[in-house]
This record gives sequence, structure tokens and C-alpha cells, in this order.
Amino acid sequence: MVLAKHFKCGMCPRRLNTAGGLAVHIQQVHKLEPENLPRIENALPGRDGYEVEIFGMEGIPAPDVADYKRRKEIELGLTAGSITQPPPKRPKTENRPLSEDELRAQLEAHKALMGAHETPAPAPADTNQSAVYAATPQTYATPPTPVPPIPTPPVPMMPPGAPPAFPGMPPPPGFPMPPGFPPGMMPPFPPPPGMVPPFPPPGVTPPFLPPSMTPPVIPGSTPVPPSLSVTPTPILGQPIAPPPLSLPNPTLAQTNPDLKKKTMLKYSEPNFSPDEVRSRHPKYYVAKDTVTSAPGSKTDAALAQVASETGIFVPEEARGKKRARAEDFL
Amino acid sequence: MSDSTLVFPGMNVTFGSDYCNLRAQHESPQASLTRKPRPFLSSIMAFFGASSTSANVSSTAEKDVEVSDPPPDSISSLAFCPVADFLAVGSWDNNVRIYEVGANGQTQGKAMYGHQGPVLSVCWNKEGNKIISGGGDNAARLYDIQTGQAQQVAQHDAPVKVVKWLETPQGSILATSSWDKTVKYWDMRSANPVSTVQLPERCYTLDVSYPLLVVGTAERHVQIFNLTNPTTPYKTMMSPLKWQTRVISCFPTGTGFAMGSVEGRVAIQYVDEKDSQNNFSFKCHRRDQTATSKDQSLVFAVNDINFHPVHGTFSTCGSDGTINFWDKDSRTRLKTFDPCPGPVSSSAFNRTGTIFAYAVSYDWSKGHSGNTPGHPNKIMLHAVKDDEVKKRSQKR
Repeated sequence: MVLAKHFKCGMCPRRLNTAGGLAVHIQQVHKLEPENLPRIENALPGRDGYEVEIFGMEGIPAPDVADYKRRKEIELGLTAGSITQPPPKRPKTENRPLSEDELRAQLEAHKALMGAHETPAPAPADTNQSAVYAATPQTYATPPTPVPPIPTPPVPMMPPGAPPAFPGMPPPPGFPMPPGFPPGMMPPFPPPPGMVPPFPPPGVTPPFLPPSMTPPVIPGSTPVPPSLSVTPTPILGQPIAPPPLSLPNPTLAQTNPDLKKKTMLKYSEPNFSPDEVRSRHPKYYVAKDTVTSAPGSKTDAALAQVASETGIFVPEEARGKKRARAEDFL
Repeated sequence: MSDSTLVFPGMNVTFGSDYCNLRAQHESPQASLTRKPRPFLSSIMAFFGASSTSANVSSTAEKDVEVSDPPPDSISSLAFCPVADFLAVGSWDNNVRIYEVGANGQTQGKAMYGHQGPVLSVCWNKEGNKIISGGGDNAARLYDIQTGQAQQVAQHDAPVKVVKWLETPQGSILATSSWDKTVKYWDMRSANPVSTVQLPERCYTLDVSYPLLVVGTAERHVQIFNLTNPTTPYKTMMSPLKWQTRVISCFPTGTGFAMGSVEGRVAIQYVDEKDSQNNFSFKCHRRDQTATSKDQSLVFAVNDINFHPVHGTFSTCGSDGTINFWDKDSRTRLKTFDPCPGPVSSSAFNRTGTIFAYAVSYDWSKGHSGNTPGHPNKIMLHAVKDDEVKKRSQKR
């Protein structure tokens, strides 16, 4: 093990591992009395004494460790105590073959759920699988796990707690959902058919897509997929939608140079500044003809107008927030 | 520094109050022109000066002070008055607010006036009795503190990105710069500009330190002007940084400038060719992908750079929510702030460099979807300690 030697002697170039080591070095080599040792250089305030002996990662005072962890948690935005206490373990699930009765119960529950979609006869596994997937009205992101033929009891597999083989199957009666899953990992079970999916299926544009969400049409850019190029329906009471940002000279469009491997640019639009993009948002856009006062003129009228407009702006702001929320949800 | 004669009309006005009420108070200037001794100027020194003696107080003991009554929307620009501790704040809610900063960093709203579009830039005149702001309504407005009146003083064909007050030996002049690709100079006596300079692209940033004026535009153009001849560029160059220019700030000495890009990098650039060996750039405002990796792979924009008025060191603040103080001569970082809960959109030193104000608010770096309702939106005041901003002696 190679350890960094952080404690430099003030009187010679020697570096040592620990505060105690440095103390002994100064006493023996430089013949200083233990009581008038120099304070440790470049130490944090209050840490310049020789009392704390830390070697490697050993010997760090417990309050300091706790303090460090707390700071880290705040820095990383974690909940308090999540570094200190490891996340709870996944509860043990029984992994045993199901009995006949259990299997039958599961099947009944599944049939009840599937209702009309029930396939009449057991078919070869692969065609059956595709039939099941075609029958489900939604498209799921779940990878197509091999599905055993549906109505063939006894099915010899599918341990409780495992990811479901059938899309839309709730936990069978008698097998409650294993508790203790962290939120976010929770729904391994997609919603059963008939329930509204939390996200609109891809390809369908939500009717209240705000205009700012449509990608700005930059000449020369790649065509947007047709599913996204649906013209937004104008919202009631909204002023004229701001025109998208356009380059004065599209031939001079900038592209970002390649970044070094594995780095991610947080603002990656090369042609417009964030302020420009923001100024075209309906909430902030000022149409040119709405600004009328000439330079040099007293703008009392304009100020009064602003004052009166604030009454109008308030609901608009509220609407903007609501929209922001809706957009986040989407 | 003598006591300023500057007393705001409409004292004790809170921003929530009715705008007409505010204006009514403004229209009685006589009552407000009474001279008052201003003890807070001396006591602010006592407060902010005291901190430098107690070196081993842990940083958590002294929290930065939050400005009360902040704007309801993102803060685009901050500017301190050059004669007293007043802070002008421009916001995306179309208004400019003026706060008085007291001895212990406590703040009080003093006045407010509006634009017809988002405010993008604010500055003060040299006497500290007028505020100029530019905004999305393609106009620059001048607010007179003594009369409480605002009037339009400049007009562009696109939003005004930067307004700057220039002090020249020939007198003072207002420079406005816009996304309409022009810089215009105004003497404010006529409705037309004194002169107009065509830029190669939309102006993104402009800064002045007489006799130097530097403009950064889209497509990474940089134009350097010598204010003895302000209408023709002294030098035109491409940015030394390969990504979009975000901010330029001139050295107080006027010999060069620092510029920040969206790719977490700052370049130090000298104007004179013979100093060009001192040009350099450095990476900053980056974050690790995960807590354990040390890859610094998330790259954030540098939103603002400010030079310290006394020591010539400078601050950078970024979209990542961090602020740093740097010394360009010893090429060292002097201070790191604890990360803020949101992007730092703008920052400013006061005239003596004892207060550092910074705005934590959304900078649109993630587009509209990043503008969540609970996003922090506040202005913080940091009491600057001497050893945070003093130049380090050059080692080696």
C-alpha cells in the first residue's frame, strides 16, 4: 500500500504519513521539545495540532466522518442518511415450484383480467407470443420475454416476485407485491389493459403541445419526424405565437466542434444563446409592433400601460407555470 | 467617498404594492430630497471588514445573506451603484428593481420600473443617480432616481442585450448593443444615436474599461474597440474558445479581457500583441458524471465574469451553480463557493469590492422544460474577505 505523505516537516524536505510521525520526527531529528512543536502548516483551521492520528483511512474521528457524509449527501442531493445507511436489502422471495392450486388461482386471475382477449387454444410458443403481443393495445418498453403458452396448466415456471411473463398481469392473489422496492423501480408490472397509460404511446402528439416545444425549423437541418411536426393547436387567448429563431444567414450555421470523449455539453445549441431562445418563448416574446413609443419621449403612458398590463400578465404567468408543469409531465 | 446626496423617493415601498401607488410617491420629489447622514456606509465597512480578522471561523458560520423580495422570475443582470450600496436588478418579469443594501447585508426594496419586455441588462451612470436598462422591447430606458421617472433613451430593431455607461475624457456616453447586430452610442440629448457601429453578428456580450471596449457576438466573433476611435474596430478576431461566447469582461486596467464560453472554459486575452504570450485559457464549471467518477464530464456554461474593482482578481459563475474567485496572474483559484441549488445567472461586485452579489435563477440552459415552478430564484450577498480576492504572490 502506498500512502500519500501529507505532513511536511517545516525544517527539512522530509514528508511523513501521520501527524504523530511528524511529531516524533521533529523531536528526534530537529531536537525540539514536545511542548513547542510548530503548528502543522497549511492545515485547516483547528486541525493544525498533533492530536488526531490518521493513517490511510483509519483513525478519522467519527464526528468528522459523519459531517463529511452529511455534506456529501447535501451536495449530491440525496436524502439524509442515505450514505450512512445502505439502501434496504431486497426482501427474500421464495423460489420454489408452484403447487397446482396456486397455479390454477393465478391462471384464473389472469383470465379474468384478460377477459375478451383470451386466446382459445394453446398454440406453439412463438406464434402464441406474437399473438399476445398483438392483442395488447399498448406498446410497452418491456423487452419481449419469452412467454409460455397461456392456458396450459400446470406451467412449471414463473416464480413469484419475478418479472411477469404476461403483460398486464397483476400480482396473483396470495402473492402480494414484494414490499421494499425503491420507488421508481416499483412498476415492473405495466398497467392492465383498459387503464389509461401514464404516457401517451409514441407517435401520438398530445393535443396541448405548446408551440415552443415544436423543434424550430432551421434551414438545412435534418427533417423532423412526421409525428413531431404536427402544427400546434393555438391556445385560447394566447397572443401570436412567436416566430421561431432563424439564422440571418443559414450558410453560416455553426456546428459545435467534437468534444473530448465522454464529456457532455449542457448547452449544446451552437447558433443561438439561451437568452435568445428564451426571448422567443410565448411568455417572454414581445412582438415588434406592440412596442410603439419613440426614443426620447416620456414613457409615462408606456409605464401606465405596463401597470395596467400587469393585471393581464398575471393569469398568463399562471398559465405558463401550468404549462410548464404539463410539459414536465409529458 | 463622500456621502452621496442620493436619496430614493418612495422609501419603504415594497414591491408587492400597487404600481400606481408607487408612482404617486415618486411624484413628490421634494419630500425625498432631504439630506440624511448615511451611517450604513461606515457601518457596512465595519461589518464586512471585520470578517477578515477572524480567519479560523468555519465557512458555515457566515452564511450569505438572501435579498428580500426578489423578482418573481429569473434574474438577468445585477449592477451595483458606483457611489453607494444600491443594487439594481433586471429580471425576465420585465421590471428593474432597486434595493438598498444595509450594514448587515439586509436589503430593502426602494424602487421599481418596467420595460415592455424582459430586462436583459442594467447599468448605472457614474454619478449613481440614473439607471439604464435594456430589454426585449428593443429599447433602453433611463430611470432617474431623483425624480422617479423612466424614459426611453435608445431604440434598436431587436432586443437590447447590453447597456453600458462609458466615461470618456470628452464626456459620458451610453452604449447599447443588440441582437440587431449593431452597437449604438447615445448622448441622450437626441432621439437618434450619435453613431452606429455594424457588428458581424448578433451581440451576446459587451464590456468596457476605458479605453477598451470589447464586443462578443454570435458565431464567435470578437471585436475590440479603442474608445478614442469608437466607431471603427481596433481589432477583429475569432474567439480563442471553440464554443459559443457567453460573456466578456475587461480587466480593470483595460489591457485585456476575460471571456467565458458555454463549454465551461475561460480565456484570458491581452489586447497588445506583445503580451500575447500571457494569453491562456482554463477549464471550469464542470461536474463529475457520478459522485464516484472523477471524469468532470458534465460541461456547463460560464454565465458571468466580474473583476474585483480593487484587486483585479475575478469571479466566474456558471450554469452548474458554482462560483469561483480566480487570480489570472498567478493562475490560481482563490475561492470556491458551496454549490448553489440552481444555475448562477449573474453576479456583481460592489464599488469597493466588499460585497459580492449573485443571482441563483434559471438561465434557460435546459430550455423551457427546465423552468420548473419550484426553481430557486434568489439574489445572495456574500461578504467578501480580503484573502478571498487578494492576489497570490507568484510562486516558482
